[in-house]
Amino acid sequence: MSSETLFLKNAETFAESMVRCGVRYHFAYPITPATDVMKHAAVILPKYGGRMIQMESELAVSNALSGCACTGKLGATSSSGPGMSLMQEAISFMCAAELPAIMFDSMRVGPGDGDIIGAQSTYFQATRGGGHGDYRTIVLAPYSGQSIVDLMPEAVRLTYQYRNPVLFVLDGVTSQMTETATFPEPHDYSADFDTSGWRYTGTKDHPKRFVVTGSYSHNQGYEMNERLRAKYEKIKENEQRWESAQVEDAELIVVAFGIHGRMATELVSRLRAEGRKVGAINPITLWPYPDKAFEQLPQSLKNILVVEMNHGQMLDDVRLAVNGRVPVHFLGKTGGDTPLCTLREMETKALEILG
Amino acid sequence: MENAMENLSSKYGKTLMLDKLFSYCPGCGHGIVTRLVAEAIEAMGLREKAVSVVGIGCGGFSHHYMDIDAIEATHGRSTSTATGFKLASPENFVFTYQGDGDMSAIGLADLLHAANKGVPITALMINNTVFGMTGGQMSPATLEGQVTATTPNGRDPKLHGYPILVPEMMRAMQGVKYLARESVADAPAIRKAGKSIRRAFECQEKNQGFAFIEFIVPCPTGLKKSVKDSYAWCKDQMVDYFKPQVFKDEVE
Repeated sequence: MSSETLFLKNAETFAESMVRCGVRYHFAYPITPATDVMKHAAVILPKYGGRMIQMESELAVSNALSGCACTGKLGATSSSGPGMSLMQEAISFMCAAELPAIMFDSMRVGPGDGDIIGAQSTYFQATRGGGHGDYRTIVLAPYSGQSIVDLMPEAVRLTYQYRNPVLFVLDGVTSQMTETATFPEPHDYSADFDTSGWRYTGTKDHPKRFVVTGSYSHNQGYEMNERLRAKYEKIKENEQRWESAQVEDAELIVVAFGIHGRMATELVSRLRAEGRKVGAINPITLWPYPDKAFEQLPQSLKNILVVEMNHGQMLDDVRLAVNGRVPVHFLGKTGGDTPLCTLREMETKALEILG
Repeated sequence: MENAMENLSSKYGKTLMLDKLFSYCPGCGHGIVTRLVAEAIEAMGLREKAVSVVGIGCGGFSHHYMDIDAIEATHGRSTSTATGFKLASPENFVFTYQGDGDMSAIGLADLLHAANKGVPITALMINNTVFGMTGGQMSPATLEGQVTATTPNGRDPKLHGYPILVPEMMRAMQGVKYLARESVADAPAIRKAGKSIRRAFECQEKNQGFAFIEFIVPCPTGLKKSVKDSYAWCKDQMVDYFKPQVFKDEVE
């Protein structure tokens, strides 16, 4: 079987892609707009010798996922809004226990029960960690079906190489969009990693091992936290990822991810056609945040505009990366019948800043 | 002393780690159940494939005394963690070891759904009627009128409900194939409990479904009683309400 082009909803593309890259166990609980992942996984996983298990809550989902991860095999989950909130304790646990897992957050509008309409309002939860303790989750933000497919092998590598859960965040608009994506030949990337040195599958081939994430008030616990810190520093150094368009001579750079990242590229083409010097930065890793994209800002740069489907969350990271060198403006909205900024609104704001 | 250890090792085999410093309080019922579990693992030749998923609380110490792999799960979720583990690695022998706080309070939903699904794991609940590790607060299993750190005037059913009867709730679930309540109140009860554990383990070994045992044990520290009095209380009061019995044995 060679490559294959399919016309799928992007949430289904996620399911298709994770299974083709080695996920064999998917744990989930129905929640719009993430349910398409578990539905699709339930259909295709048995063909790959795997299973989708519907659990009774996201508490059970996330802990079954961590149990699966303890075997060294690759599991995944998919959820949204309040479902992701319920998983935060287990995500903190998996980070502390250094367990591999793939997670998918089809971001919806909140707070509270939230609503099924797409948003980018869990940026803080994803990148800061909604759980307790000093931990970090690797966060990837695809902006199209094809970028999901292209990122998946990297996600499997990241989760095994660093033994840390990897979270995909898609705004609900991107995850509900239907478009084509070309899949390479299936390959179980998880099998490329040897887990025999750490998995917890019985003492037949190793001395007793145990997962303890609840013992920090002595030297071993202190060292465990220091080891995690060193790992996170390594990830920050090596794994920042972003795409950029025409930033070299830009007077204005638009920074956006997901659907707005895609629109920002379109905005750049439009305004460049009118001779306006606009560029775009589209972060692909939200943690580690691509600070390096902001290290060498062009001399021509006068302003930065951040566009999000929330009230300004990634904005904080852009401001930290820019560190006061140029003014950082914001355009964002969340909820309503058009839960994102239109291209026209983005253009108006950009022209207003350009003067 | 060394000779005494060797003698014990030859009696108990490799599973029970007799050289570990014990962190259960003197007289704690966990010590007995932990030994019984280790003996069953040893006798049935399960040590190398056994994985213990323990709860948060004193039950979490149990794996330290057994030479087997273990996972200290998040509070209450051991049966869900075990469900994911067993799905991905069915060749392992997977059991949970949890207290009544971890299992019948915060973890009740996880327990009942794992039972209802008939997940082929073994779940053990050590019920001493209190949250032991945090200092003897009320648990769902605290007896009516029982004084605890959080029920200074005794458990009032009007406010707190009646002590929870966990195996009774599972009786109608078809996925549950072995279901029992045992106690460690005296020597005959302990011997019976040991046999029950082997039967529950056999249920998983034969891949027949979910197995559950509740153990009625005293917590002398949490109950603020002498060891002797706590065992007398266990025999007279606890066992009177939590009646030991095999509810279901469908292991073929």
